[in-house]
Amino acid sequence: MLFTVNKNSLTSNSLDSVLRIAPKGSPILLYEDGVFNAADGAKHVIKVQAALEDHSIYALEADVEARGLKKLIKGVVVISYDGFVELVEKNEVVPWL
Amino acid sequence: MNKVIVMLRKAPYGSVYTAEAFRTIMGIAVFEMEICVIFMDDGVYALLKDQNPEKLDMKPLGDGFPMLKDFNVSKFVVHDESLSERGLTTDDLVLEVELANSNQIKDLMNDYGKVLPF
Repeated sequence: MLFTVNKNSLTSNSLDSVLRIAPKGSPILLYEDGVFNAADGAKHVIKVQAALEDHSIYALEADVEARGLKKLIKGVVVISYDGFVELVEKNEVVPWL
Repeated sequence: MNKVIVMLRKAPYGSVYTAEAFRTIMGIAVFEMEICVIFMDDGVYALLKDQNPEKLDMKPLGDGFPMLKDFNVSKFVVHDESLSERGLTTDDLVLEVELANSNQIKDLMNDYGKVLPF
């Protein structure tokens, strides 16, 4: 199952609730405002680092670049729209809006 | 002179709020009102340097704020806690801002009396 998250965990509980229920090994894609969760140095870093032990975490390149995020948490993989499509082909998508 | 606070609390690109706040500031500036622009919560992201929304087919939103000086809008305030909990400092921002804590923003709200929240 691919969980997609489009909100910042500093202002929404979207990522927190995904992490509570997502089965181990299921990939998480951060897009739109969700990419802020991948920013290094912020308050949520420890939470995301812990999540990386159980999940692959991806951040959509177009949204990362748009928002000017330069330093991302180590282990988060930046992917293009093509990479997004590949993930969708491989996994059942759970859009966590 | 009439005074008003424009308060930005949302991140750019994910919604129209940042763009609409900007349009509102431009509109108010024409009427020569005294404007204080406050950035708090995810609103601080609006000022991040090096925004490049080309792949989203959008225009960069951060670049517009420094240009507001030409419209006599020059009071930009950033909530310090919102900035620091996002791992950011004023060096990461596109323009010079005043940092304010929650109490100082409370005082600004009292002083201005009118707030347009976005």
